[in-house]
Amino acid sequence: MARVRLENVTKRYEDVTAVDDVSLEVEDGEFVTFVGPSGCGKSTTMETVAGLTRPTEGRVFIGDDEVTDLAPKDRGVSMVFQNIALFPHMDVFENISFGLRLRTYDDDEIRRRVEGAAEIVQLEGMLERMPDELSGGQRQRVAIARAIVRNPNVFLMDEPLANLDAKLRVHMRTELQRLHRELGTTIIYVTHDQAEAMTMSDRIAVLNEGRLQQIAPPLTCYNEPSNLFVAGFIGSPSMNFADGTVVGDGIETPHFDVDVDRETLAGATDGDEITVGVRPEDVHLAENARSIEAASDPIDVRTDVLEPMGDEVFVYLLLTESAERSMEEDPASSSDQLLMSVTPDTEIRENQTVEIVLDRSKIHLFETQTGEAIVHGITDRPDRESESTTEEVDS
Amino acid sequence: MTDEPTNRNDTSVERTGDTAEPTETGSKSDSALGPLPDGGRTEAERPGREGIFEDDREVELDRGPFQRWVANAITNPRRVYRSLFYVATVFFLFTTLFPFYWLLMVALTPEGRQQDIVLTPNGFNPGAFVEVFQVIPFHWYMFNSFVIATASTIVVLVIASLAGYAFGRLEFPGKVPLMLLVLVISFFPPAAFFIPLNDLFNTQFAVLEPITGDGSLYNTPGAMVLPLSAIFMPLAIFILTTFYSQIPDGLEDAARVEGTTRLGALFRVIVPLSAPGVATAGVLTFIAVYNEFFFSFLMTDGQPENWAPILEGILGYQGQYEVMYHLMAAASIIGVIPVAILVIVAQEKIVSGLTAGALKE
Repeated sequence: MARVRLENVTKRYEDVTAVDDVSLEVEDGEFVTFVGPSGCGKSTTMETVAGLTRPTEGRVFIGDDEVTDLAPKDRGVSMVFQNIALFPHMDVFENISFGLRLRTYDDDEIRRRVEGAAEIVQLEGMLERMPDELSGGQRQRVAIARAIVRNPNVFLMDEPLANLDAKLRVHMRTELQRLHRELGTTIIYVTHDQAEAMTMSDRIAVLNEGRLQQIAPPLTCYNEPSNLFVAGFIGSPSMNFADGTVVGDGIETPHFDVDVDRETLAGATDGDEITVGVRPEDVHLAENARSIEAASDPIDVRTDVLEPMGDEVFVYLLLTESAERSMEEDPASSSDQLLMSVTPDTEIRENQTVEIVLDRSKIHLFETQTGEAIVHGITDRPDRESESTTEEVDS
Repeated sequence: MTDEPTNRNDTSVERTGDTAEPTETGSKSDSALGPLPDGGRTEAERPGREGIFEDDREVELDRGPFQRWVANAITNPRRVYRSLFYVATVFFLFTTLFPFYWLLMVALTPEGRQQDIVLTPNGFNPGAFVEVFQVIPFHWYMFNSFVIATASTIVVLVIASLAGYAFGRLEFPGKVPLMLLVLVISFFPPAAFFIPLNDLFNTQFAVLEPITGDGSLYNTPGAMVLPLSAIFMPLAIFILTTFYSQIPDGLEDAARVEGTTRLGALFRVIVPLSAPGVATAGVLTFIAVYNEFFFSFLMTDGQPENWAPILEGILGYQGQYEVMYHLMAAASIIGVIPVAILVIVAQEKIVSGLTAGALKE
């Protein structure tokens, strides 16, 4: 068990920068997930920890030792790969014991540890089988057993569940969490699936275009995204964004205004461009908005398409009557549309004119130019008595 | 309007039989544009597949046996493929096995009666297979050949594995030109290398004295292993490059994280998974070296104690006044046996290698 520290790690290929100046620290025993879209550099970052890729610049530490120039085998890490990567010419026992056999353990010790690892991942009685006789989930367990059998300092997982079917993936997700609790090993986990990132990790590191965007506990990333990218990436469906400008005591977007105390927007002057973000679950029908302590002014919209999900219904709202429904644009990023999520018992139809309000305590403001977050939750309304809500940024 | 296309359809069926299919397809596409071309008849009543089949039989009555066979072949091509397969197999077996058969007949014919052997031996003398070893120490020549071929194969496989790993799995500048250069070497005739090599191998080096006695490589296995390995290396590199490049990167990464070096990953994971390729390269090299004439003939003085290979042994039955053809034939048959065994064993290896490699990616 050990801490992992990356210092200004940069990996450049001929003309591409895969990882750009990433610095982060993973605590001993922590479960940290690298998450981001395809090609954001999360796998490359992990490979620099594993030693499979040598960073162009920067240093990697495991425990107190710098390992930047060490071969993978000397780093005390083990890894589970996306394509599982079991050795097809070896049976399960040989696969699991591969690393031990390279390290001159005696036969009894190897057998004892392999059986122990097989028990943890519930593979007893399958040690004689070949990988091609196993199901996808069983192969995954063998790969995990192979990784834990050496008692690694750090456990790396590169999209280990990506090749499994949806049901098995959810199952293995809980298995991995249980495993982490039992072993207490430092785990770095790479995924593009934010559901995996949110549910499993102690902290998630959001990467985009090789840069670290935010590293924080999952709910912090969700509730207080540090910039536009994190806000749009974490959460499904994505956050609604509307581009606006500062005008007087508020922000004007093309279709609605948000009142904001100028002190909240410290330093902003009239005409500054600000992006307003609000999650679908923080958009409410005006008639249901009694419980919301800080509702915005009502906005007239027309419902477009309903997407019933069972436990909730997603409603696409058109902000203008004449709004062209553009097919290519992501609705969440279009200023003419809003996505709202309501409970399934809400009476709502397609093509209906309704009034909605936004939960002001859940509105996020970002600088449009830099994408940096300004404030999460607007609490003080100048035109009402100042309601103190608990959603004020607290950390 | 509705009758007209129907007529056209029907006549075409009667006239040409087989070609009714495309015509009908054509009329089907017509039906999308206008009224039904068959006058609204249902699918079953239309002159569809069943109708064509009946027509076919009627037409067949007019055909001769060859035409009938052709028609049969068109409707049932698998029979043709199968019969072609048998024809090719029989031809192939005949051309490869008949020389052996004839060699055996020559070997079995007693000395002095070698004229006019057609399909049966002139007499029966299985003792030739024993005599082979009594006249000259043929087993010694065989041992020499076996050692030389094995050593060359090991050298080729080890070096070609390293080269194949570099060419197949790494990216480096100049990779393609270098690969081409390696291949170009294999295009040179061995004779081009012979004179400088012969000169080199006859030069005495003090370093080699404890190993070879007189300090030169002439009359040692090295004089054949070195040039033959070099000449057959490019083919092996080419085969192994192809195989090694197909092993998923994840497996090599997994081996390296688990505790091997790159070299360890090559020999513990990549080579075993490329067993068919390694077996192919190895067998080809072994057979080529075992059968090689040029260097085998010229790099020793022909004495078995000086590592002369099988070739010299067979030529050893040729005296100044007589040629013992029956012993040559018997020796040739005996000489083939190790290679035949090797191929049979390696073939099993190749098949097992192909079925064991359940790679997912």
